[in-house]
Amino acid sequence: MQNRRRYVRIAVAAFLLVFVVAGLSRISFNVDILKLLPVGLRQVQGLSLMLKEFVSDNELIITVEAPTAEAAEANADAIAAKLAGMPKLVKRAYSKPPWEKDGGQLSELLAFLVLNQPPDKVRALTERLSAEKAPGTLRETLDKLSESMNPQEIALLGYDPYDISGSAVGSLMSGGGGEQNKFASADGKFHIIIVEAAGTKDGKFANYNEAIAWVDAVQRATAEWQGRDGCRLGYTGEPAITGSIAGSMQHDMQESGVVTLVVIALIFYFCYRRFRPLLELQGMLLLVFAVALAIAGLFLSQLTVIGVGSSAIMIGLSVDYGYFIYQRAQRFRGTVRELQSQCLRYIVWTAGTTGAAFFALNVSSLPGLSHLGNLVGIGVIVGAVVMLTVYAPLVLRRSQREGDAPPSLVERAVLSPRFHRAGAWFTIGLVVVLLAGLAWKGVPANDFSDRALRPRHSEAYDALDRMTAKLSDQADPLNLLIEGDSVEVVLARLCDVEKQLAAAQSRGEVVSFRSALPLWPDAASQRENLPLLASLANEAPRLRQAALDAGFKEDAFMLMENLLKQWSAWAQRTPPIWPDNDASRWVLQRLAHHDGDHWYAMGFVQPAPGREDALLDKISGDGVYLTGWKLLSLELRRAIPQEFVHAIVGIVVVVLALLIFAFRDARSIGLFVGVTLLVFACLLGAMSLFGMTWNFFNLAALLLLLGTGTDYSILLLLALRRNGGDVPGARKELFVVICLCACSASAGFGSISWANHLGLASLGQTCALGLLLDAAISLFLIPPLWTWLHRHDPATG
Amino acid sequence: MFTRSLFLSLMLFAGHAVAADTPDLAPIKRWLAKQDELRTLQADFAQTRSYKNLRDPLAAPGHIWYSAPGSFRWEVGDPAKTVVLRKAENYYVITPAKKRAERTPSAALGQPGNARRMPMMDFPFAKNFEDFNRKFETLAVATTGKRCHLELLPRDPQAKNALSAIRIDFDTETGHLIAFEFVTKDGSSMRNEFSNVRINQKIDALQFDYDFTGYEVIDAK
Repeated sequence: MQNRRRYVRIAVAAFLLVFVVAGLSRISFNVDILKLLPVGLRQVQGLSLMLKEFVSDNELIITVEAPTAEAAEANADAIAAKLAGMPKLVKRAYSKPPWEKDGGQLSELLAFLVLNQPPDKVRALTERLSAEKAPGTLRETLDKLSESMNPQEIALLGYDPYDISGSAVGSLMSGGGGEQNKFASADGKFHIIIVEAAGTKDGKFANYNEAIAWVDAVQRATAEWQGRDGCRLGYTGEPAITGSIAGSMQHDMQESGVVTLVVIALIFYFCYRRFRPLLELQGMLLLVFAVALAIAGLFLSQLTVIGVGSSAIMIGLSVDYGYFIYQRAQRFRGTVRELQSQCLRYIVWTAGTTGAAFFALNVSSLPGLSHLGNLVGIGVIVGAVVMLTVYAPLVLRRSQREGDAPPSLVERAVLSPRFHRAGAWFTIGLVVVLLAGLAWKGVPANDFSDRALRPRHSEAYDALDRMTAKLSDQADPLNLLIEGDSVEVVLARLCDVEKQLAAAQSRGEVVSFRSALPLWPDAASQRENLPLLASLANEAPRLRQAALDAGFKEDAFMLMENLLKQWSAWAQRTPPIWPDNDASRWVLQRLAHHDGDHWYAMGFVQPAPGREDALLDKISGDGVYLTGWKLLSLELRRAIPQEFVHAIVGIVVVVLALLIFAFRDARSIGLFVGVTLLVFACLLGAMSLFGMTWNFFNLAALLLLLGTGTDYSILLLLALRRNGGDVPGARKELFVVICLCACSASAGFGSISWANHLGLASLGQTCALGLLLDAAISLFLIPPLWTWLHRHDPATG
Repeated sequence: MFTRSLFLSLMLFAGHAVAADTPDLAPIKRWLAKQDELRTLQADFAQTRSYKNLRDPLAAPGHIWYSAPGSFRWEVGDPAKTVVLRKAENYYVITPAKKRAERTPSAALGQPGNARRMPMMDFPFAKNFEDFNRKFETLAVATTGKRCHLELLPRDPQAKNALSAIRIDFDTETGHLIAFEFVTKDGSSMRNEFSNVRINQKIDALQFDYDFTGYEVIDAK
């Protein structure tokens, strides 16, 4: 029998080991902040599509900031040249648009723009080039060269005597705004270099570790420029941001877990002064942590930046059951099973309500919070099971082996009436201050901006902000993303949206806009234009001679010659035709994309200040997304608080129903409701005084406090009822345990207050603050209030 | 920026102006000091545009009117084929033959790197020596008799990318502008030789006005 039990234990341990190793090996981080947001929201869908289709995973941006424009440009060029000479590390490195090295490459794009014009314009163009009209066309060009005050026109016409580019470039310029290809700031002191990684598969790194290693290698290769000529380098773009977030996630997870374990150890040792039980408790917590994380690894998807906070929270909450069992095991004379059954009710109640509150986070459409809720919910249940089945026998045997330990100094001190009087007065003072703070400063402000989604410290984000400030002429432009399952569908949508935008501009809702329409192939126009344009190749000698006769030199015909060659080459192809040389691809990759059966076009809209929301309703349609971080905030502000209200009402109804069932006493229920309201009022006051705000993530604290913080008052009320209103008895039974639980849970939440992710940190701060207030008000104010409420009741005297 | 950079890049870049030793800037200081007294200016000019890809330069006559602090009119052709007018907060580039005017806010035009700005639209070139130094890098100063010749480069990086030199000739005694020229990186140039310069004479306010009746006035993109 003994041997059989041993084999079962060994088998369970072996299974656990395999389970934990398998689970932990599958844990991975998802650094996409949009994965924290509700996928059903239009803004989230649009932004996710934009990031997926138009942001290159393997493109690093190096920013070079110098005291002079010359230094910035020279150093940016030198860095790009060095990186371009490292083919194993870097596929391409640009400090200038590729066409600046070879202007001739642009003739393909210009040929495409003309080919894509409406057929009537192309017919008019070919007519202007006819034998009869060509001399007149050339005279017009000479007049413009003589009189024009437009530098761009003058620069072009010298190389384009037939003014082929005029209408095509005009269509490209017509939208205005949308300056997307800048490599330097207006003052020239800020430059960027775009670096494409070598050796990635389909333009993607295998994992974030590979991205981090590559960014590190580029940083090492360019380190010598840091500080040279006063230059300051920054690194941003997708691989740098991915690396930065993943690194901080790992750090947050490890640091918060370790800090929580250390704080719990200190609290336990301070209270009980015993080392071996402390080590056993820490071992249990590590087991809980490993098993819960293994379950998450095997059954849940990747860990998000919010999910990493779960380790500290689950440790901080699971330890509650360990404290309770340890406290009960002291001076316990029964069997393990009897101890387990005594503890079961308490643990089922607290684990049930806590787990339910965390699982209730699934009602939130924020996947980050649901993820956190599931992880902590699993952790709490695993914690309850581990503490009851493994820790209870362990701690009882030790207690019975070592005999009764005298109450520690702390235990004796906290149970003295003097301590409770002082505590009650302190709590009353604190409540008065916090309520005065609430009355003075009002409820905390809302901050539903995208700030809560961002990391607190990130060099990659800092560099990105700096780059946006230096290179963007426009404040907060909106992204216009259009998708469709064919080139034609996208073109039709582009035309519709262009009309909607023009109408919005005439109403003053849009300052400027640029869609991909001029660069999107119009197969029908191309089919009609191509024979006309291709046939011009036969006219090349006549056109050249006419230009020479008009006073132009041979070089002035070079562009025209390239255009004619290009149209002639395309004559063999079937529209839709896309330009595909290096310069064209460079321009198009930021405006058009093809992924499997889907086509995507990108554009930009500069809304009139304060009109962003109005635009959302007017610029819409199937496959049309007008997105921006500001619009995302507006959409989240509408959706998230409402769903939390629903969840909170739901949990309040459930808790009250359970309390009515458990207490069947109006005074107890009234006391619980009053204390809970007081805790929340004090929390609001504390948040206002500390300058904290509500965001999408710390709103969940209200839900969690209802599930975890209220346990303290409920348990104390139950103990008071069980002890027939004997306040000292109830305190002796629960005061130390509740103190330890509150401190540990607060340590768990508090340890994520310094998390790099601001949303997670705010959740940690709000919960830690709420739990401490809940514990203080419950422990010090419920007993005197209970006594006062039951002063005329002889049975509970 | 994209289209600007794209198509300006079609030009083949030529050599760079040769830098001289640190020039003596005293004549510039004296010239700019005289500008303090400038209230109005009227002059005729002969404009010569030389293009790298044209066999012969293109010449046209023109007139300039300026009244401090900000009224400006520049006409090319006789009769005027292009008029640049600074009126209130806007610049207008007017093409009378087409009954068309393009309006650009002066503030936008003054931004560094604005591609719609011709160097002479910044007249007067500087408020004082500090302003001059902020706008231009002086490559050379040569004085022959009463004529001082300046060889400059704009400090605005975008303009510097497109231009290889700005040349100004002025009379050291009167401070009158004699010639103004800019040379692009591909070797093309636009030179304006001034004559009949009249300083601080009354200019009819109507000169800085324009009747846009029947004109299509559009905002420049």
